[in-house]
Amino acid sequence: MRKGVIAAALAVLAAAAVVSAAVANTAGPAVPAQLAQCTNVSLGFLGPLTGPAAFLGQEQFSWLQFGVQKYNKENGTRFKTVQGDTQLKAPVARTAARRLASNRNIMAIVGGSESQAVRVSGKLFANARLVSISGSATAVDLTKGRPYKTFFRVVPNDGIQGPTIVRYVSGVLKARNVVVIDSQDDYSLPLAQAITRGLRAAKVTVSRQSVSADDTDFSSVVANISSNIQVVVFATQVATAANTLSNQLREQGKRAIVFGSDGAYAPTQFKPRSGYVSVFAPDIQFDRKARALINEYKRWSKNKPFGAFGPATYLAGLVAMNAIKNACADGRATRAEVVKQTQRTNIPSIYGGTVRFSRAGDPLPTKFVIYRITNGKYSPVG
Amino acid sequence: MSEPPAQPPTQRSAQPRIGVDEWVASAEERRARSLGARLEDALDRVPPVLKLAALALPFAVYPLLVDSDYLMQVGIDTLIFVLLVLGLNVAAGWVGLLDLGFVAFFGLGAYLYAAVASEYAGRHWEAQFAIPAIAMTVAAAGFLLGSTSRRLVGDYLAIVTLFFLQLWLVVMLNATFTRGPNGISDILPLKFFGRQVTSLSGYYYVAFAAFVVVISALYLVNWSRTGRSWRALREDELAAELMTMPVNRLKLMAFAFGAGIAGIAGAIYAPAQGAIFPLSFDVVLLITVYAMMVLGGAGSLFGVTVGAVIIVASLEALRGPEDASSLFYFAVVLAIVVLVRPWWRALAVLGGTIAFGFVVHEAAERWRPSLVEGIPFGQARIDELVDSWVLLPVDIVGPDGVPTGAAGRLIYLLFVAAVLGLTLIRSSRWRTIAVVPVLYYAACVWENLLLSQPAVARFVLMGALLVGLMAYRPQGLFGKARVEII
Amino acid sequence: MDWDKLVQLIVNGLTLGGVYALVALGFSMVYGILKLLNLAHGDVLMVGAFIGWGVLGWLGGAQDLRVAVWLLIVLMILVAMVGCGFLGVAIERFAYRPLRRAPRIAPLISALGVSFFIQNSVLLLWGANFRSYDSFDLVDVEVGIHWGPLNVWILRVVVMGAALVMMVGLWVLVTRTKLGKAMRATAFDREAAAMMGIDVDRVIVKTFFIGSALAGAAGVLVGLVFGSINHFMGFGYGLKGFTAAVVGGIGSIPGAMFGGVLIGLAEAFSVGYIEDVTLGRLGSQFSDLVVFLILIAFMLLRPQGIFGKKDVKKV
Repeated sequence: MRKGVIAAALAVLAAAAVVSAAVANTAGPAVPAQLAQCTNVSLGFLGPLTGPAAFLGQEQFSWLQFGVQKYNKENGTRFKTVQGDTQLKAPVARTAARRLASNRNIMAIVGGSESQAVRVSGKLFANARLVSISGSATAVDLTKGRPYKTFFRVVPNDGIQGPTIVRYVSGVLKARNVVVIDSQDDYSLPLAQAITRGLRAAKVTVSRQSVSADDTDFSSVVANISSNIQVVVFATQVATAANTLSNQLREQGKRAIVFGSDGAYAPTQFKPRSGYVSVFAPDIQFDRKARALINEYKRWSKNKPFGAFGPATYLAGLVAMNAIKNACADGRATRAEVVKQTQRTNIPSIYGGTVRFSRAGDPLPTKFVIYRITNGKYSPVG
Repeated sequence: MSEPPAQPPTQRSAQPRIGVDEWVASAEERRARSLGARLEDALDRVPPVLKLAALALPFAVYPLLVDSDYLMQVGIDTLIFVLLVLGLNVAAGWVGLLDLGFVAFFGLGAYLYAAVASEYAGRHWEAQFAIPAIAMTVAAAGFLLGSTSRRLVGDYLAIVTLFFLQLWLVVMLNATFTRGPNGISDILPLKFFGRQVTSLSGYYYVAFAAFVVVISALYLVNWSRTGRSWRALREDELAAELMTMPVNRLKLMAFAFGAGIAGIAGAIYAPAQGAIFPLSFDVVLLITVYAMMVLGGAGSLFGVTVGAVIIVASLEALRGPEDASSLFYFAVVLAIVVLVRPWWRALAVLGGTIAFGFVVHEAAERWRPSLVEGIPFGQARIDELVDSWVLLPVDIVGPDGVPTGAAGRLIYLLFVAAVLGLTLIRSSRWRTIAVVPVLYYAACVWENLLLSQPAVARFVLMGALLVGLMAYRPQGLFGKARVEII
Repeated sequence: MDWDKLVQLIVNGLTLGGVYALVALGFSMVYGILKLLNLAHGDVLMVGAFIGWGVLGWLGGAQDLRVAVWLLIVLMILVAMVGCGFLGVAIERFAYRPLRRAPRIAPLISALGVSFFIQNSVLLLWGANFRSYDSFDLVDVEVGIHWGPLNVWILRVVVMGAALVMMVGLWVLVTRTKLGKAMRATAFDREAAAMMGIDVDRVIVKTFFIGSALAGAAGVLVGLVFGSINHFMGFGYGLKGFTAAVVGGIGSIPGAMFGGVLIGLAEAFSVGYIEDVTLGRLGSQFSDLVVFLILIAFMLLRPQGIFGKKDVKKV
């Protein structure tokens, strides 16, 4: 008796789920597709909120939330955010992107966080004339030849970071023997390959190693690093991994130091006795003006640790809200207008200077900064 | 040791019973007495063609009802999942082979399509050749995998297939010909006789056609001699072998058949997505497909299809707080109405919960106003109503939805304990009484902790669903209860 | 021959192996008694790691620690063991016990559900950040044994030592105590054990407690020696531990210990030597491939494992 009833109950629930999923999405405000209002505007966020890269997506979403609340308070606006979880999976990202695109309240997307999310959503957003502004997708091909017409990013691409690291390692550090390690994801592998090519062109002896993205033990990889190696370049998104790597090098008596890519930048987590890290902006944690912002975030988030991509996403959100506000100057706006306004962005950056975009959607001007880390203290060296 | 140990009555059900034949014999009789079983029997009497049509009809009209690209995409996702779960059902549902490497076949199908139709490969095969060829190749791979592990039974098979899945992931992630984690992102669309499928609805209908073909084929297989021997195999392999059934060949066929279906799903999925990446075919996908199968009822074609629809729909509905907020209350009310008998008791529970909520809310407001001054995460109309009913303490969770301190975590853990405790109450009257505060507690946890992070909450709920389902109805919604003879 | 590298790889392999062995023991004990693959076991390890991290924070964190380091480590391990023990008991009571008579697939699905539930609950409550044990601030990596080619950080020694002590303790428990006898009897034949007056349910609960406590301890050890933990870590350690249990012969306690060390060493050596052996064709990213291939070969050729006995099926 009871089991049959349970079955019936679950079946009814199922029907309910289907119906409400359908109803919830069709019952949007009855506004023509391209014309939207300016009173109830949301920003969509596309990034990995669960799954193995959730640390990245959650940090970014947290900074975006912070930015939206701050902006609303200061400008009397009422922006909201809508989550689009990608789970770090392309098909999930695609469905999430469609969902965001078909929500008429959404006037701009912040994201996608990972390059593959941009690859599967770029055309789709372009067709919906919906702007997407990423704070972390750095693959070169995303803007090369402008394949995704409404995609912008506030971080410079790997085509700039790679050569910067190569120049510093071969020119300034004068390293002759280098190991390059990637972490088997779509951020780190192309970057590691570019760095390897560049170093080899500069006559540096390079050997390659690879770890998986969720590894926490690198001691056996370290055992492979011979004692004449001077620098280990580690392209990773996990700052604590870079930290463990540098300590395990020391544990085994290797003199090589770790050179982290921008994903490793996090002063509270990557704190080797001696090392380097490159990051796409003059560090906002040292700029006096920016320090107030950092402190505000720390208070707001109850001291959550963060790396380089959280503040960048904050900036992406700022750009989006500013563009929407400009597009709404006449009381109503279309998504296409927001795209146009984004292209014209010219607002003060949290990194100092202003944010402007090139025709391809890359930030202008761009420069990577290298930090030397001594006993966990960061100082800019060029 | 002089006395036989007295068995506490509460533990009897967990003990193996000796000499259960009589019990087994009467199982059918007792089953026939229940309402659910009568419903099941009535369902059995519906002619199969009608049942298939009833199953296909909603899928056929779905595109006419929806007007957004998003819902079309969800439709395609659903059909792909339906194909996957139908394939899994062959080996795992009918034959009872626990294949934990199943999603690798799906991935193989997708990558094979990329190999015959992408700019990267420099080829563009016509789909009417590509899809059957891929299905055959993947079926052959299934045959191979099956034949390496045919000596293994039960859990050992599960382990080896899980290793094969990991192996597959390592290779796909690191081999240069797959472009590793960068994936293959220039896959060419399906092309039938020179005409390319480019629209979303086009892919929907292709997937739908595949679904109709596959489910019809499965239906025929199920009632063929092979299908019956498969089920015999699941019930008792040894007996089946004694009846001169070719056990090994049957198992291999099941592996190959299921893999072939997954291959078809992959071959449609790759061009529908336009890009594939190795990490899309991982353990989370595997768990999701298994959840679909057991929810609907392993072994039942109708059941697993419905299971896939339910899981996809709920995961989509729980994507954001906008859609999810009212779903919860809707689901709870329905569950109470259907589960609690007699009807006046259900009404009492509902009324009691509402009243209880108002009393608690009022008391809390007087005692400590900060307990009710939080802002609800949901943005639907129902949240304004709920705002004056549930407790919304200030600062339990941060603005990004993660608890800021021990309080939020403790509330959640206590809630889990409360729900588990509820299942221990044996007296139905006391349970009905205890349900009231727990329901109210659930609403508070939902509003404060789950709705704030819907992306995470839906996986928590899916995990809980699997555990609860196994404990209360292991045969799923539409499966037949099986009697295991020990 | 590069002796430094060889020695170092052995040290690394033994560290990992100790952890895998602890996880494998839990798997193996549960499988021995219930014939149940507890796929949620890895997540118990993850919870243990989080409990240890909580204890660290409660005692002031690595920067301003209020107690001596050795006391901290002991406290972390003990609290994590007790917490995870109870977690294991709860999992058994609510997820597995209702399924004792269900078809074989049911408990496995339930285990997947528990794993999903625990993992995402932790994500829900603690967020997705990698949590740092700050163990490199706790004890500097240069403190330890430096003797010829041997460079071992003191925390590594602690990890290997703790794993060894726990394994010996378990061995004594199983072979020398009444509970151990009951456990062995139940594993041998549950029905017969019940008829001999053994309270089978109680034995199962205790088995779960002990197995999960070991996993909890392993979680703390992982956090200590590698420095960072996250909600996702359970799956990898679970899989490797599970592998170790299979290689050793599932259900066999010495087998689990041996299998753990073997898998740890295999992993370290495959990272260290895969390039040399394949003449540079396969890089270190394929090291897992070697481990899994060994395993599959093992399963196909000797499914009962090294120490396992071949099952004879009775009708």
